[in-house]
Amino acid sequence: MASAANANLNAVRETMDVLLEISRLLNTGLDLESLSICVRLCEQGINPEALSAVIKELRKASESLKTSENCTN
Amino acid sequence: MATLDQKSPNVLLQSLCCRITGKSEAEVAHQFQYAVRVIGSNYAPTIERDEFLVSEKIKKEMLRQRREADAALFSELHRKLQTQGILKHRWSVLYLLLSLSEDPRKPSGRVGNYGALFAQALPRDAHSTPFYCTRPQSLALGYGERSGALTASIGTSGISSMGVYTLNGPTPTPQSLLAGQPPQSAAAASQPLGSRLAWTLPMSSTPSSALTLPTMRPALGPPALSTRVVRTRRDGDTGEVSEAALVRDILYVFQGIDGKFIKLSAQENCYKIDSKVVLHKSLRDTCSRLAELGWLHNKVMKFTDARSVDRAFGLVGQSFCAALHQELKEYYRLLSVLHSQLQVEDEQGVIVCTENSLTLRRLLVWMYDPRVRLKTLAALVDYCQGRKGGELASAVHAYGKTGDPQMRALVQHILSLVSNPILNFLYRWIYDGELEDTYHEFFVASDPNVKADRLWHDKYSLRKCMIPSFITMDQARKVLLIGKSINFLHQVCHDRTPPGKITAASQSADTTKDAAELLSDLEGAFQEKIDAAYFDTSKYLLDVLNRNYLLLEHLQAMRRYLLLGQGDFIRHLMDLLKPELVRPATTLYQHNLTGILETAVRATNAQFDNAEILKRLDVRLLEVSSGDTGWDVFSLDYHVEGPIATVFTRDCMGHYLRVFNFLWRAKRMEYTLTDIWKGQMCNAKLLKTMPELSGALHQCHILASEMVHFIHQMQYYITFEVLECCWDELWNKVQQAQDLDHIIAAHEVFLDSIISRCLLDNNSRSLLNQLRSIFDQIIEFQRVQDSLYRSALEELTLRLQYEERKKQREAEGQWGVTAEQEAEEKQRIQEFQDTIPKMRSQFRILTDCYQGSVQQFLVLLMTSTDESLRFLSFRLDFNEHYRAREPRLRASLGTNRGRRLSNI
Repeated sequence: MASAANANLNAVRETMDVLLEISRLLNTGLDLESLSICVRLCEQGINPEALSAVIKELRKASESLKTSENCTN
Repeated sequence: MATLDQKSPNVLLQSLCCRITGKSEAEVAHQFQYAVRVIGSNYAPTIERDEFLVSEKIKKEMLRQRREADAALFSELHRKLQTQGILKHRWSVLYLLLSLSEDPRKPSGRVGNYGALFAQALPRDAHSTPFYCTRPQSLALGYGERSGALTASIGTSGISSMGVYTLNGPTPTPQSLLAGQPPQSAAAASQPLGSRLAWTLPMSSTPSSALTLPTMRPALGPPALSTRVVRTRRDGDTGEVSEAALVRDILYVFQGIDGKFIKLSAQENCYKIDSKVVLHKSLRDTCSRLAELGWLHNKVMKFTDARSVDRAFGLVGQSFCAALHQELKEYYRLLSVLHSQLQVEDEQGVIVCTENSLTLRRLLVWMYDPRVRLKTLAALVDYCQGRKGGELASAVHAYGKTGDPQMRALVQHILSLVSNPILNFLYRWIYDGELEDTYHEFFVASDPNVKADRLWHDKYSLRKCMIPSFITMDQARKVLLIGKSINFLHQVCHDRTPPGKITAASQSADTTKDAAELLSDLEGAFQEKIDAAYFDTSKYLLDVLNRNYLLLEHLQAMRRYLLLGQGDFIRHLMDLLKPELVRPATTLYQHNLTGILETAVRATNAQFDNAEILKRLDVRLLEVSSGDTGWDVFSLDYHVEGPIATVFTRDCMGHYLRVFNFLWRAKRMEYTLTDIWKGQMCNAKLLKTMPELSGALHQCHILASEMVHFIHQMQYYITFEVLECCWDELWNKVQQAQDLDHIIAAHEVFLDSIISRCLLDNNSRSLLNQLRSIFDQIIEFQRVQDSLYRSALEELTLRLQYEERKKQREAEGQWGVTAEQEAEEKQRIQEFQDTIPKMRSQFRILTDCYQGSVQQFLVLLMTSTDESLRFLSFRLDFNEHYRAREPRLRASLGTNRGRRLSNI
């Protein structure tokens, strides 16, 4: 039982590695944790289109926040 | 990582927000709210759930960026991913990654400028489809691929919501949603966004800005003016129609449905933009130009709709409609592609309309070809109005004669469909002889009222107007002939050979397949096919007619019996008939004559003829008018029934009877003259004892030999110059004939030339009358000479009796004659001698009459145009006997010669 869980964990890790590699290839800019969150969301059936939009918007928001902070600084 | 397992999407989202922005949960509350809304609002993905397609897209994207090695690496990784099978929604993850991917070569500097846009856009997204800033990969995709990929998304809420949205202008912005960042200030603050908009403006040609601020147009480019541009754009949307709305309208109009602004104006019969709508002139023009498509579409549509229920329009018409439908279907396919494209844009938002969005101008370019096609179709529809069948095919064919290869291909395609039923008819007709033409579309027409005996001549005819222009008249005639032959074989000859055996090249080739080829290659295969069928069928028909129905034998029989070719038979028949025929015509009985005919047949070589032919030989009495003798009404007849009646029609038989009558008369003259001559020869010796007669007899001999000469020459002319020549011609033609029509034609030519050369036609009526009078004088001469001989012989016998009695008395020793008797004898002789001058004068009159007739006849012959008749006149007057007597003859001969010389 434990070994099965272990094997499963290994498989998950491998999958994550592969995905990370693809993500790197595609230059998505996601780190491992973001990626794993995204994968989970996707696995729950979230619309990837929407998700990607959200991520983009979040990035922009943070960028603008940073710039505004810089400005204020 | 493991701790995040099985958490709700919200928790995950929140951690994602934190992760990406790098802030605490409290700080990212707004972003998190937004994210939840976006994710929730559009739960159903608009893209297809196909992992393969997504991976292909990724690869393509990489190739586009010239990263072939990475593409290979990706496919390797992808394969690994597939083998592991941990993920259920692999496509989803891949799609996400693809969406997030960025071209590493591009500078990512612009990322920083989106904050304001994000802030602006949020309120819109509250009630509409999500608003993406850019999604280059979906826009850069190929046209066809996208259309294929996006058809699945038709029917989502995109159209309606977007339509309302753009038409009513932007909904009032809820101020509360994004605290501290009101739209105006955002717009004013974000200069970079302004410049971006300004950059997109010329591409998408936003109508509002162009209209309200015409002076701004040339200056749109510089970023300095961008703030005002943005403002006008946002304000201008209220009163005017955006291009996107027009595009949507136009797409409806393309299908003949009225749009919101562009409607079919009934009185002008064209699509017009509502005059109340404020719109720039160029857009208006473009719209009207595009709207033409709708009008053309309506036209074609109306035609096919009206015709497709009309059964009487026929098969050709139906296939024409089908062809039009096919074209329309193509057109609809294009429209649906455009529609789905529009839909994608709707779902992506308005401002995305950059390089690949639908604009009116783009439509103008894209719809150029379809418009040309539709125009051609509409022109065809106009031209084909009221035509059907072969005529319709001709009309379509006429349109194929164009230099434009595209149009020609289109018309050719339609033509191949249209001509398909015609070719079907044609093959049914030439191979089976069946005419399945319910709607009278084929160029062969059949008259159901015609009976079998006139089948060949009258039943089938060509409908000239239905001959498609790609089939020549010659071919059409052959086609008619082939089917007619088959029908003739079946119905008249009762020949039950299956059609497949008649034509060696039967329906091995299918009609549908080679319809198009045949049209393009009319000289070759089609012609050959028709020729082969024609040749085989005609040959078979002639074989059947000759073998089973003895056509050629009957022809020869006609010549032998009706044209007096069988000399011994005719002579014998005349011998036998003579006592019958001198009687008045009313006392003749057909059965007696038929009996005589049979006797004549049995006694002569005619008995060896085919029984089939002799059976048909019969006697016929013409209509009797008062004073006619048997000679005038007697005629031979030949019964023609069954298939040969097609060649020997009633008209032909009428001609034959006329010719027979003439020949019979001429023959009778010969026969009469023979009798006259016989009488002269027999009586010459006897009458030597009567010297007082010698003058009269001399006159008789001269006249008789003149007549004999004349009749001999006439007979020679009739036999050798007319009958034999014509017969030879006919026989050659019949031997070479390829079809029954040739035989019929040759036979008709034969009869016609015989009729005209025997002076039986209308042109030579005067000649014939002259000849008749000559013949009459021959008869008259025979009568007069007969009476002369009778009285002379009577006188002779009386004299001989007188002498004998004298001798007898002397032998008895008495006086030979008493004075009384002598006186009586003398008186009688005197009386007889008194009649002689009367007879001589009678002969003289007869001679004069006869010579006058002959001279007249010769004069007429000289003026005749027929060469053989002129030769006849030379022959009749070989020693210029008549010419010496008749000044007119001399004159006409001279002029004739002169004319002929001048002709040479």
